[in-house]
Amino acid sequence: MKKLLFLACFTLLLASCEENTSKDEKQEVNIYTHRHYESDQELFKLFEEETGIQVNVINASADELIQKMVLEGAQSPADVLITVDAGRLFRAKEKELLQSVSSSFLDSIVPTHLKDEQNQWFALTKRARVVAYAKERVDPSEIISYENLVNEEWKGKLLLRSSSNIYNQSLMASIIANNGEEAASLWAKALAGNMARSPKGNDRDQVIAVAKEEGDLAVVNTYYIGKMLQSNDKTELESAQKVGIYFPNQDDRGTHINISGAGVAKYAPNKENATAFIEFLLSEKAQAIFSSSNFEYPVNEAVEMADLLKQWGEFKEDKLSLNKLGEFNKRAVILFDEAGWK
Amino acid sequence: MSLQNSFLKLRRDFNRWSWSTLLLLAIIAIPVITIFIKLFDGPGESWGHISKVLLVDYLTNSFWLAVFCTFFTLLFVVSTAWLVTRYEFPLRKHLEWMLIIPLAVPGYIMAYAYAGFLDYGGGVSQVVHWLGVENFKLDIMNVYGLSFVLSISLFSYVYVSTRAFFLTQAVNLLEASRMLGTSERTSFFKLILPLARPAIIAGLILVLMEVLNDYGAAQYFGVNTFTTGIFRSWFSLEEPETAIYLSALLLVLIFSLILIEKWQRRKMQFSSAKISRITTSNRLVLSNFGQFVILFWVLLPVVLGFIIPLYQLLVWASKTFEMVFDDGFFWLSFQSFGIAFITAIFTVLFALLLLYFSKWNKIYHIQNAAKLGILGYAIPGAVVAIGIMIPTLFIDKWMIEKGIATKFIINGTLIALVYAYVVRFLAVAYQPLESSALKVNTSIPDSSKVLGMGNFKTFFKIEFPLIKAGMLSAFILVFIDTLKELPLTLILKPYHINTLAVKAFEYASDEMVMHAAIPSLFIILTAVIPVIFLNKLLLQHG
Repeated sequence: MKKLLFLACFTLLLASCEENTSKDEKQEVNIYTHRHYESDQELFKLFEEETGIQVNVINASADELIQKMVLEGAQSPADVLITVDAGRLFRAKEKELLQSVSSSFLDSIVPTHLKDEQNQWFALTKRARVVAYAKERVDPSEIISYENLVNEEWKGKLLLRSSSNIYNQSLMASIIANNGEEAASLWAKALAGNMARSPKGNDRDQVIAVAKEEGDLAVVNTYYIGKMLQSNDKTELESAQKVGIYFPNQDDRGTHINISGAGVAKYAPNKENATAFIEFLLSEKAQAIFSSSNFEYPVNEAVEMADLLKQWGEFKEDKLSLNKLGEFNKRAVILFDEAGWK
Repeated sequence: MSLQNSFLKLRRDFNRWSWSTLLLLAIIAIPVITIFIKLFDGPGESWGHISKVLLVDYLTNSFWLAVFCTFFTLLFVVSTAWLVTRYEFPLRKHLEWMLIIPLAVPGYIMAYAYAGFLDYGGGVSQVVHWLGVENFKLDIMNVYGLSFVLSISLFSYVYVSTRAFFLTQAVNLLEASRMLGTSERTSFFKLILPLARPAIIAGLILVLMEVLNDYGAAQYFGVNTFTTGIFRSWFSLEEPETAIYLSALLLVLIFSLILIEKWQRRKMQFSSAKISRITTSNRLVLSNFGQFVILFWVLLPVVLGFIIPLYQLLVWASKTFEMVFDDGFFWLSFQSFGIAFITAIFTVLFALLLLYFSKWNKIYHIQNAAKLGILGYAIPGAVVAIGIMIPTLFIDKWMIEKGIATKFIINGTLIALVYAYVVRFLAVAYQPLESSALKVNTSIPDSSKVLGMGNFKTFFKIEFPLIKAGMLSAFILVFIDTLKELPLTLILKPYHINTLAVKAFEYASDEMVMHAAIPSLFIILTAVIPVIFLNKLLLQHG
C-alpha cells in the first residue's frame, strides 16, 4: 500500500514537472475551443508546421470555457476563444473576456456583418440552417420561408430537434430580431403544434426520420447533410440522398445563417501568436479545408467552395447583425419554453 | 442538557481524530461546500421562469427515472449477484466479471448504441426485415427507454457492492441457518437479504446519484430531467448562478436521503464476528434444468449491458475503422489507464482515511458531516469543475501574487484534475468501503484497543484484512469511472494529456456517433484486464 502510494505521488510529481519545464522557452498559443472537428486538428498541425508556434488546446463547450475564463481572470492562460455560434462570442464580449484586434488582413477579408464592431471577434465559417425535405413527397416551392412552416399543410409533418440546441435558439433569436417578440412567440407555438413527434435526437436523426417518412420536413444545418452523404453507414447515406435542401426566405431577408468564430482573449499572454492564429484560420488554405472536409461555408470569399456546396447553389443570406443572435438568445429560450417546444 | 454541558461534552469528546476528520473534509468537501454556500446567494433572475414553466416537468421525469432504475437494479441485480456467488453453473466464472463491464461504457454511448441497435437499419430492424417487415424501429427515446439505458449502464454498482457482501459474509450465516433447519429460500429472504441491506443501499445510492446527474443520454433522448434543467439555466439562459443554485438544491435533496437512510437503520447491527468465503466446494449445484434457468437469468443483464452494446459498437467500428484508428490509440489507452490508476489509489486512500478518522472521533455530528464528502458525486461534473476551480484558482492566484509561482501550479496540471476526480468519485469508493466496514464486528477492534493497541495498529492488524474485499471493489469502481469520466476531464485537463473518453466525445459531439465506437471499445478494453485481475483478487481475499 505504502509502495503504491509512493509510486503514485512520484508519477504525479513527474508528470507535473514535465508539464512545467518543457515549454518555458517555446512559442505557443493556447486555444479554448468549442469546435471538435477533425478538420480543426488538421489545421492546428498545419499552423504548427508553418510557424513553429505550438498549439495547446482545451476542448469544452463554449459556456464552460467562458466560465473558466471568468474564474481565471487576469491570469487566464487562454489566448483564443473559438465558439460554434455568434451568441457565445457576444456573451464573452459582454463579460469583457475579449479584446480588439487590429489586423489589416482580417479587416480586408471578413465582411462587416460577420465580425464584431470593435473587432473583438471574427467569423471563421458560416453555417446555414435550412429545410431538408422529402424529395418524393414535397414540392419545395411550397416551403417558402421559416414563417410558412406554421402553415396547416405541414401539420404533423415537421421534424425539429430540442430547443436546447443552440442552432434552434439562434434561429429563434433571428425571428425575434426580424419579426418582433410577439410574432416570434406565436410562431414557436404554431411550430410546436406542427411537429411530427416530440423533439429528440440530433440533426442527423431528423434527416433519417424524414427519409423514413416520420415527417416531411426537417430544419437542419447544411453541413450535417454533407457529412451524411459521405458516410459509410447505409442508413445515413440513403437518408441523405432522399432529402433535398431548400434555402428559406429567398424572397425576403434571406436564409438564417450562424457562424463559428474566434476572438483574442482579453488577457492573452501570447497576443501576437493569437492574432496570427486567427489570421491563419482565415487564410485561403485553411478556409478551403473548413469547406472541403467539414462542408461549412467559407468566410474568405476568395476561396472556392467544396463541390457539394456549389451543387446546393448560391443563396441569399440574412444579413442581420450577428450580435442580435446573442442579444435575443435568452429571450428565445424563454419563448421556446412557454411555447412547449421541449 | 444545558448549553454549557453540551459544550463541555464537546470539548471532552473532541479528539485528534475529530481534527483529522475536519481537515480531510476541508480538503475534499471544499468544492462541494463552495457550491453549497451558493445556495444562500440565491438563483439568478430566470428562476421565476424555471420554477413556473419547467420545474414540474423536470422533477416528474427525474422522479420516474429514479423509481424505474431502483426497481430494475433491485429486481435483476441483487438476484444475479446472489446466483453467481451461491450457485455453480456453466460460464459462471466469465459472467462474474462481465457483469462489471457495462460500467465502462459511458452512459451517452450506451444511449447511442441502443438507439442505433433499435433504429432503422440497426440490428433488430435487420432481423425483422429478414422476416419481411420494412422500416421497423423500436422507439426508446423516452423516459422509459432512458431508465432502461441508464439502469443497464449503472447496475454494476449494486452488483459489485452486494457481491462483496455475499462473498465475505453470507456463507457461514447461511450454513448456520440451514443447519437449524431453515430452507434455502427462507434463509435467503429472511436472513441474507435483510443483512445485505447496507451493501445494496450503498450501491443503489451511487446508481441514483449518477442517474440524477446524467446529462448526455437524457439530452439525446429528449427527456428533460433536473440535470438538463441545470444545463438549460447555465448554457441557454446564461445564468451559471442559477445552475449552481439548482445543483445545490439537488445536493440538499440527496444529503437528506442519505441521512434518512442512516437514521432509519440506526438501531440495526450488521456486524459479524467472522468472515468466510465461498469456494467452489460450497457452491450449490442444481439439476441441469435448474442450472439452465440460472444461466438464463444471469445472462440477461450480461447480454443487455455488455453483449448488445458491444455488438453495436463493433458494427460501427468496422465501418469507421480505416478513418479513425491509428496507433495513437495505444498511447491514449496508456494515459487513460495511468490517470485512472492514480485516481483510484488516491480516492480509495482518502475514502479510507475519512471513514476511519470519523469513526475514531467520538462526536456524532462530525460523523454525519463526513458524509458531506461523498456529495461530489451527486452534482454534474461540469458544476463540480466550478467548485474545484474557485478554491484552487484562489490559491494559484495568491501564489502568483506572492511571487511563489509564475503561473498556475494547480490549475492546468494533473494536480487539479486528480483532485477533481477524487472529489467527484469519493462516494464511489466510500460507499462500498463503508458497507464492508459496517460488517466488521466492533467488539474485535474494541477489545484490541482495550488491550492497548492504537487505532492504526488495530486497523492494520484487524480491520484491514476484513475490509479488503470492500477496498478492491472500491478500487475497481473508481478506476472504471475515471476511465469514462468526461466533463471534468474536458475542463480541467492539462493540454498534453488526452483520454479515450475525450476522444470518444469529440466524435460524438460532432454527431459522428459511429466514429466514437473505436475509442469506446478501447475504453472497454482498457477496463477489462484490470477488472478480470481484480475480480480474481477479490475471490481470493474474500
